[in-house]
Amino acid sequence: MSENTPQPPADPTLASQPGSSPGEPPAPESIEKRFALEQEQVQRVIRIVTPFISVLIAMLIGSIIILSSGKDPAAAFLAMFDGAFGGPRQVGETLLRATPLIFTGLAVAYGFRAGLFNIGAEGQLFMGGLAAAYVGYQLAGMPWVIAAPGALVAAALAGAAWAFLPALMKAKIGAHEVITTMMFSYIGRYFVSWVVNGPFRAPGQIPQTPEIPPESRLPRLSELLTFIEPNRAHFGIILGIIAAVVVWWILKYTVMGFEARAVGFNPSAAENGGISFASTTVKSLCTSGALAGLSGAVEVMGLHYRLFDQFSSGFGFTGIAVALLAKNNPIGVIAAAILFGALSAGSGTMQLQADVSTKVISVIQGIIIFLVGAELIVTWAVGRVRARKGALNAG
Amino acid sequence: MLAEIFTPELFASAVRLATPIALAAVGASICERSGIVNIAMEGLMLVSAFFGIVAALFAPSWGVPESLAIWVGVLAAVISSVVFAALHAWASINLRADQVISGTAINILALGTTGFLMETIFGHPGTTESVKRMQPLLTLPTGGDSFLGTVWHWIDVVLLSYTPIVYLGIFLAIFLTWALYRTRWGLRLRALGEHPRAADTVGVKVLRGRWVAVLLSGAMAGLAGANLTLEQVGSFTENMTNGRGFIALAANIFGRWVPGGAYLASLLFGFADALQLRLQLFSAQIQIPGQFFRMLPYLLTVLVLAGVVGRAVSPAALGKPYKEKG
Repeated sequence: MSENTPQPPADPTLASQPGSSPGEPPAPESIEKRFALEQEQVQRVIRIVTPFISVLIAMLIGSIIILSSGKDPAAAFLAMFDGAFGGPRQVGETLLRATPLIFTGLAVAYGFRAGLFNIGAEGQLFMGGLAAAYVGYQLAGMPWVIAAPGALVAAALAGAAWAFLPALMKAKIGAHEVITTMMFSYIGRYFVSWVVNGPFRAPGQIPQTPEIPPESRLPRLSELLTFIEPNRAHFGIILGIIAAVVVWWILKYTVMGFEARAVGFNPSAAENGGISFASTTVKSLCTSGALAGLSGAVEVMGLHYRLFDQFSSGFGFTGIAVALLAKNNPIGVIAAAILFGALSAGSGTMQLQADVSTKVISVIQGIIIFLVGAELIVTWAVGRVRARKGALNAG
Repeated sequence: MLAEIFTPELFASAVRLATPIALAAVGASICERSGIVNIAMEGLMLVSAFFGIVAALFAPSWGVPESLAIWVGVLAAVISSVVFAALHAWASINLRADQVISGTAINILALGTTGFLMETIFGHPGTTESVKRMQPLLTLPTGGDSFLGTVWHWIDVVLLSYTPIVYLGIFLAIFLTWALYRTRWGLRLRALGEHPRAADTVGVKVLRGRWVAVLLSGAMAGLAGANLTLEQVGSFTENMTNGRGFIALAANIFGRWVPGGAYLASLLFGFADALQLRLQLFSAQIQIPGQFFRMLPYLLTVLVLAGVVGRAVSPAALGKPYKEKG
């Protein structure tokens, strides 16, 4: 969203206030121009460093929270770092947890680029996981070149299908996608709960689907590259990186991506330019849903090999934080997902060693969204710079 | 079976279940009439539900008499919600941030904060200890088995059996509808959401007016959270609001941004919820899995939006940041 809503250019009246300082040197215009240029540069610099500063501030506030609960923040973050990057097994765990976040991050980011807020990625993820578990199970006995891609395609289609009705409602009658995708998210979760408890339940005490056969699984990286120490990271991370590059390419070089960005930037201008708002909205939200569906698929095919009620711990919602931190840049999504993957992988060690609740992670996430997504630092810092320069010029 | 389903208790439970949604929906209508989208209702309800329980549980140890502890809880619920709403107001009014993003941040922050404090204070995730729930305002004698007795039973259960915040919700919906259309404050509030520039030109303080509206919606969400934990459930469970804040936003749209309309729309959702709970009792006879019943309120929300939204016109300046002149 950030790239779709550019800051207004620096307001020269605020800056130099020519009337208030009669003794100024002549040619106030050139000063104004120079000032506006400087403002733009300042804004650009602030924009680039914003994500980094935001993460730092969020960590700082997190530290204060940990401190006020009577625990040692330094020990907590050290334990977290150790749990996320302390060795091959830990790095594997970080990549494992980053994998679904790359897909949900891409899903939310693609929506944002088209001016759509897909807050219901969680539901599309569940439907994608269901499709992967079902098709992966049914394709038992097929060669893996058919089974695994088959399950992935099914998951993408299921995710897209789950986004289709909200997309249609947005395009045709203007129903806000934040409410509709959220409602579909709940409906999807109850649907999956029914499926794993009823028609597609494996025999046994626990409500879950039967295991998918090896040919529709994603192999572990340490099985492919035997020189790596065994860890749980799987081929899904490679798929995630490929998906990020593909999404980047779609946005930059295809008509579909151009139309999505145009509608996201200014729907009525795009409409005047001959781009249909309705069809672009439907295409974009369904693409977003397909990416979220793939997120469910990689969890089922690479980690659990089956579907159960609680198989996602809010990846759809963390995807919002990932997309915002990445400023909706598909390549940035990879880095942001790895950061949140590391937080998640390290939080267990943190709880074990420093006795700090893993929930502190979602507090940090919320603060990051607030600071980056709402562009608080940018507006605040630019306001400060402007006020100082204004005072300088006036005085 | 129908007589077993459509009892006075069903309608009473509809009103009770509608109340948290309705309070939030009425709050949302005030907030959105001022031009600010408040998607944070869900998070505000969650925060207030949590702090309400915490205050009610610990008030006796602070020297508050047992009988007042629950009211301390209500107060804490409202204050905590207003504090979080102030974050949204500051970001979306003063810093002119994207209101949907700011609201989402508060929702996630609320989920994290309540979960973290839950484990820090109570030492475990999941559900807190219980408090003694708020009692109904009136306890009236029953009327016996005669026809008049049955009529009295219906009146008693459907109209007179509720806890204080339920009545407060009905009063606020009526009062705020009156205030919105019959007072100077209401006229100005509506102007803020339709044409803030014009309001500013004639001297209405746009930013201050919007702050009041956002904080008011925070207080309403606080009452909603208090109703949920202190009157209905008696304890707090993580993420217990379960989408009610979002349903409230849909109810507000269905009610056309009028507090009274928002309340009536919420009754529809409350009825759907009460009906699905009741039908679950008969699931052995009906042969439909429970999950499908639980989908009902969410399905209804989608249907309502599909049927109504095209014709509902939102306040013209909704979601648009405003910069005061001078």
